[in-house]
Amino acid sequence: MTVEQQAAPAVIARQLQKSYGGRLAVDRIDFEVPTGICFGFLGPNGAGKTTTMKMIYGLATVGEGELRVLGMDVTRERRQIKARLGVVPQETNLDNDLTVRENLVMQASYFGTDARTARPRADELLEFTLLSDRADERIQSLSGGMKRRLLIARALVNDPELIVLDEPTTGLDPQARIAVWRALERLRSRGVTLLLTTHYMEEAARLCDRLLIMDHGRIVAEGDPAALVREHVGREVLELRLEPGCDAEALIASLDGRLDGYDLTEDALTLYADDAEGLLQALDNDRFPTDSALVRHATLEDVFLRLTGRSLRE
Amino acid sequence: MAMLYEPGYRGLGGPLVVRELVPSPRHAAAIWKRNARVFSRLWRGALLPTFLDPFFYLLALGFGLGTYFAHGIEGIPYKDFVAPGLIASAAMWSSAFETTYNVYFRMNELRLYDNVLSTPIEVQDLVFGDLAWSATRATIYGCVVLIVVAAFGLVSSPWAILIPPLVTLGALCISVIGYAFTTLIPKIDLYSYFFTLGITPMFLFSGIFFPFDKLPGWVEVVAWLTPLYHLVEITRGMATGPDALQILIHTAWLAGVTALLFPIPVRALRAKLVP
Repeated sequence: MTVEQQAAPAVIARQLQKSYGGRLAVDRIDFEVPTGICFGFLGPNGAGKTTTMKMIYGLATVGEGELRVLGMDVTRERRQIKARLGVVPQETNLDNDLTVRENLVMQASYFGTDARTARPRADELLEFTLLSDRADERIQSLSGGMKRRLLIARALVNDPELIVLDEPTTGLDPQARIAVWRALERLRSRGVTLLLTTHYMEEAARLCDRLLIMDHGRIVAEGDPAALVREHVGREVLELRLEPGCDAEALIASLDGRLDGYDLTEDALTLYADDAEGLLQALDNDRFPTDSALVRHATLEDVFLRLTGRSLRE
Repeated sequence: MAMLYEPGYRGLGGPLVVRELVPSPRHAAAIWKRNARVFSRLWRGALLPTFLDPFFYLLALGFGLGTYFAHGIEGIPYKDFVAPGLIASAAMWSSAFETTYNVYFRMNELRLYDNVLSTPIEVQDLVFGDLAWSATRATIYGCVVLIVVAAFGLVSSPWAILIPPLVTLGALCISVIGYAFTTLIPKIDLYSYFFTLGITPMFLFSGIFFPFDKLPGWVEVVAWLTPLYHLVEITRGMATGPDALQILIHTAWLAGVTALLFPIPVRALRAKLVP
């Protein structure tokens, strides 16, 4: 493999667009997923993340624009792309009529691998996802976390170069979530490209080398997690709960020049600054009475809420 | 589950190029194998009713009702007339259930097809694999009836040995109709129309129980438009002594209609699952 081929992005989207029945789900987006990293798509429900993933793994057609996966065109070379892809869907769609091991062996047969070759590989994957002792059980007997891990094992039967994971940990308890993260971290360290969507900022911050935030079908920010925080919210955050009658506008005006930005939702005021402690000291408590004040580090969650707003979706 | 998933109507979608309609045998075989694997778990429990069902029909119709028709039908005893048709009807019922409720369940409740279609398997492979399985299952059921019928001494022609592959063809034709219905309907309730207005009338009016010679001509014309009529003519011909030309015509009808209808479920399923 030449250097150029190695450096070629796993996914390239150019002016990618998709609408369902007149509703624009993905609105002319451009992005590139470099090979060998974990790339995250963040965004509120309905932002267009799942639609983008589905176009990549062949469960939605490309509306307009260009989408290349592993160097191939998704419309013309769908079968070849899918042969080298692993998919962990949002919905658990395991085959309930088969055992845990049979789910993997059957999946391998969809990729053209015969059962004799597939069985040792299946056992290896069950070990990797800590499911060996469940190999002969039916799917119904598995917990939610085990089903998720089996979905990951299933996505690996063809030894894929790129794995697409749509909300891989939604609905899991913290222990199960950590087990999934560990599996994904081990895959990344082997050089597999991971492409995942999530609503969990902690997950994005822990797993992803690079992030892209989507809202209303468009890309609103892109970068590595730390840079996104620095760029969009600064270093620290001061959270204030204002007493009734406190003039928020005047408060903000009084701190002019020290703020990187702010968010005001009813009586909750979030102030972004490089020195939130200093901000709190400088605040005139007699003029602006508050119920509570909290100083903390800025997180990805602040970036997310700043860029996509605080109002409820759906 | 409290509520059944309703997939909604998506229609046929856009036209497909030939490449998207021709199944890859290797990929279709993987789907066939999956269905066969699941069936192999369940068949032992289901086999006894499969034998008993034709047995009861033969008893009630052939040996019960049939004793009132002293002269038989078309020169053959009534039980000999009815018996081969029961092979065809068993294949029809099997095909109808497999391509309606079973496919619906796999597609909408288990969401298996979403997974399958994110592997190298394409829609046309999936549909063909499912249809081939449905026809296989129908042939198994048809053979069970054939064995029962033969055990009663109601098979008089050695050509009956060709009944199984011809039943496969007839079942394929009925399956493609059931599959098309499944991929087009927006909700599961509509199956009652399929069975009440399609399958049951076919069962009763396709010449299994009575011939058409004393009925107005249009009745047979209508029957001619249904796949079961042709399959019944084939199984009866093969069991009692075939007319080669007639068998050829019926076979061509079934093969032609199957090929003609195949693009419908492929297009509809693609419109539904790969929008």
